[in-house]
Amino acid sequence: MNLRSILGRIGLWFAILVIVSPAILFFLWMLSLSLKFEIDNAAYPPVFFPEHIAWKNYADVLASNRFLTYFLNSLVVTGSATALALMVGIPAGYGIARMAAHKSAIVILIARITPGLSYLIPLFLLFQWLGLLGTLVPQIIIHLVVTVPIVIWIMIGYFETTPLELEEAALIDGATRWQVFRHVALPIAKPGIAVAFILAVIFSWNNFVFGIVLAGRETRTLPVAVYNMISFDQLSWGPLAAAALIVTLPVLLLTVFAQRQIVAGLTAGAVKGG
Amino acid sequence: MVNHKISRRTLLTGTAAAGALSLTGLPARADISWKKYSGTKLEVILAKGPRGDNLQKYIKEFTDLSGIQVESEQIPEQQQRQKVVIELTSGRPSFDVIHLSYHVQKRQFEKAGWLADMTPYLKDPTLTPPDLVESDFSAAGLQYAKNDKGQMLSLPWSVDYFILYYNKELLQRKSIEVPKTLEEMATAAEKLTDPKEGIYGFVGRGLRNANMAMWTNFYLNYGGEFLDAKGNILSDGPEAIEATKLYQRLLTKSAPPGVAGFNWMESMASFTQGRAAMWIDADGWAPPLEDPAASRVVGKVGYTRVPAGPKGQFSSTYGDGIGIAAASKNKEAAYLLCQWVASKGQGARLLQAGGGVPFRNSIVDDPEVAKGVKTKEWLQSVIDSAKISKLGLPVIIPVAEYRDTVGAALTATLSGADPATELKKAHEQFRPILERSEKT
Amino acid sequence: MSVITQTSPAAAKEAAPEKQWRRPSYWPFVVPALVVVLAIIIFPWLFTIWMSLHEWKVGVPTTFVGLSNYLRLTGDPRFIEAVGHTLVYTALSVLLPLMLGTLAAVVFHQKFAGRGFLRGIFIMPMMATPVAIGLVWTMMFHPQLGVLNYLLSLVGIPAQLWVFHPATVIPSLVLVETWQWTPLVMLIVLGGLAAIPTEPYESAQIDGASFWQVFRFITLPLIMPFLFIAGMIRMIDAVKSFDIIFAITQGGPGSASETINLYLYSVAFAYYDIGYGSAIAVIFFLLIVALAAVMLYVRQRMLWTEMGGGA
Repeated sequence: MNLRSILGRIGLWFAILVIVSPAILFFLWMLSLSLKFEIDNAAYPPVFFPEHIAWKNYADVLASNRFLTYFLNSLVVTGSATALALMVGIPAGYGIARMAAHKSAIVILIARITPGLSYLIPLFLLFQWLGLLGTLVPQIIIHLVVTVPIVIWIMIGYFETTPLELEEAALIDGATRWQVFRHVALPIAKPGIAVAFILAVIFSWNNFVFGIVLAGRETRTLPVAVYNMISFDQLSWGPLAAAALIVTLPVLLLTVFAQRQIVAGLTAGAVKGG
Repeated sequence: MVNHKISRRTLLTGTAAAGALSLTGLPARADISWKKYSGTKLEVILAKGPRGDNLQKYIKEFTDLSGIQVESEQIPEQQQRQKVVIELTSGRPSFDVIHLSYHVQKRQFEKAGWLADMTPYLKDPTLTPPDLVESDFSAAGLQYAKNDKGQMLSLPWSVDYFILYYNKELLQRKSIEVPKTLEEMATAAEKLTDPKEGIYGFVGRGLRNANMAMWTNFYLNYGGEFLDAKGNILSDGPEAIEATKLYQRLLTKSAPPGVAGFNWMESMASFTQGRAAMWIDADGWAPPLEDPAASRVVGKVGYTRVPAGPKGQFSSTYGDGIGIAAASKNKEAAYLLCQWVASKGQGARLLQAGGGVPFRNSIVDDPEVAKGVKTKEWLQSVIDSAKISKLGLPVIIPVAEYRDTVGAALTATLSGADPATELKKAHEQFRPILERSEKT
Repeated sequence: MSVITQTSPAAAKEAAPEKQWRRPSYWPFVVPALVVVLAIIIFPWLFTIWMSLHEWKVGVPTTFVGLSNYLRLTGDPRFIEAVGHTLVYTALSVLLPLMLGTLAAVVFHQKFAGRGFLRGIFIMPMMATPVAIGLVWTMMFHPQLGVLNYLLSLVGIPAQLWVFHPATVIPSLVLVETWQWTPLVMLIVLGGLAAIPTEPYESAQIDGASFWQVFRFITLPLIMPFLFIAGMIRMIDAVKSFDIIFAITQGGPGSASETINLYLYSVAFAYYDIGYGSAIAVIFFLLIVALAAVMLYVRQRMLWTEMGGGA
């Protein structure tokens, strides 16, 4: 190893430290908040490691009634909205990329651009008229507004960089466009699908504005439920941080799994040359 | 714990008032037919807070008594108000019973006709216990609950008076007396402020909208009135300018940095940490202040009335009520629940938990109930405040706009803007909004 | 150069007319998504436009008022201020994450021990629920008790007022926004970096190009399409940013951080002025379309220049 590469290594690790520390410090602080009693949480100078650990913050959150219901609601809403978005969004991204049909992409973009708040009242009235309120259907449908455009946009970007030669060769060999899509384009686009999937899940999972109006007592998703719990009627930073961590945990776990997939997809260099 | 024992006794009184009262028998009146609507299912939408807790904690007793199933949920105040309005506008609300904030929603609800008239139910002895009579509610409560035609559209549930919290230790250290006037308070606050130690003389709401609740208390004590006989808004007059100057002085000279963004939560944080000597806010915060797990000032807090201004001494008053959706199909059953919520037993529990003050004089003045209140000084401050109670906001439809617009002007004075100019600007902006919503 | 060509199939098509048959035949791929999107978008939009032409308030019969809601906007100082806040907030919230995200992507594109793990940590901020994150930041911003001022005091910087002063509130909120969304940019750019062929790098290495030269002349042009997508998504999200601002300042102090979306929320859900709120929603939408159009235009210009340079 020469001096230059050693310096390069040091520089790299310094850069890594700078880039990663805001996230690490924030979540450690959040963890610290979630494990402290109120008296420590509002102390100055701040207490980083409490003498007494307040496990009760977590117990309180988990013991709040219907926690399991809300968790399942979240799974159903986010899961359905993401699955539906991938089903229609991946082919759409492919089609738009191949046709260079940026005009149709703009139609889809409109969904993404529309201020979420302006969906709320019209859709609330529509779902009430359809008698769907009180079920999870309204939320699944309105979450499509969030997930579909993301999936399409990410997929356009990916398919635009995938090589055409393989597909052309397959078409000349007599394959149909659907076969080409299924067996040539789709496998190459796996990393893109992973990114699209993750983003769709995050946006859907974290969304709370829609749920506040559309969700009733039985159909509330976890973030909305937790937001209700963390309302401003007490200086309850401990339970707040605990709740935030609990809500975030499923998504973080998902990321850890999907992370491998992304990394594998990216390092395999699926889109080399061309 | 002593408190525990007493609260068990009051639990018994509570049950007596709510249910067994009919058994004690007042021969002139028929008994409440509790079971008449047995099997009915009611939906209740509550704003999150001690009042909602109070209902949910004891609702099983109501169900045992009446056979009525009650499904209730608490939603944070802001979302609750929105959800209620959206659903009521749609004409098919998913709830029968509504917890409403009078100081924000009264006019709006009356104008929209969303609440069922309770007047006939109140007169019906099979629905109303004999001790629940209009005259038992405080004047402010009746003012809130009744519309122009004198109909009762809801039952007054819990009242919020603004009171002065002070840190006895900090005041003693500088040998400062509890201020009797706003002027004394401002002077004392300046003496108590010691930024090097991180101690500030005063803390209170600086946040837009929320700050109005405190400011109006100054405004009232400077002799301000919100509306003239024609319904024009007056809160940019000379009284308002003086009140704003005091507001500006207190929050810039003797309040912690960043107070412009403080709601009651941040204010309470400063106070419970012993970093603010005085704090003016609603009366419901005794429990957290006296909770050793949340507060460093347990046992050191003094409670008293808001100091007098040059034109009088008032306590800004706000309140909650409980009403029935006009679109509900179970109005009688819903009323049974409402009167149970406003009953003496439930009210006593609310007071004793320190979570609110019932509008009913027979509860607040009852020495038996008072025995169960943990912080006597707090109770005294509330009783004193009740005597000088005055509505803290104008009773108009666009209350939210009013709080936002004028509140923003107040916040602006904290970064040095001139009170008179800011108030004038805000009212120029607000007057057309008021006209637009009050017309027709 | 073929990679660049492929990023713009329109250009490829012009260069090779025999590929014209592609154009109509891919519609079946797009139709399902289009149907879904139109179905959820069309109804609310028609309704919003219709409402914006009415006086629609609680307890008052709805009346047709033509364009008067739109006229009201022009004389509404709060709205005009909100537009200014939105533009400043958006500009900062696009540029900072784009720059830091590209940097982070370049770093994470290197090979080093524990890369997957650290990358996972790095993208945690965008995973977390914005509302909860916002409330934790509020506590951290607290001028007296907040951990940020404590950290500043350790290095001798005086305490700041952060979100509690009109002058610092927007930069402070942008700090949170940047912290949260830099990972999104990083992910998208990282996808772009992985799609880059290795040959140019190999030849650059042989030519002895510096790291910066490699980045500027090889990497940057190749990841441009990805940066563009990241920038577009970021712009749309930043303009509409709601959760963070709502949870931390609710538009305050005063109205110093009130963006259009927050004002829209107040008008529609706190003042129940549905007609006026709908008019704001329509104008808001047009503003975002205008911003997106500017970005598309700039991208087309850049692509065109590149193509010209490549020829």
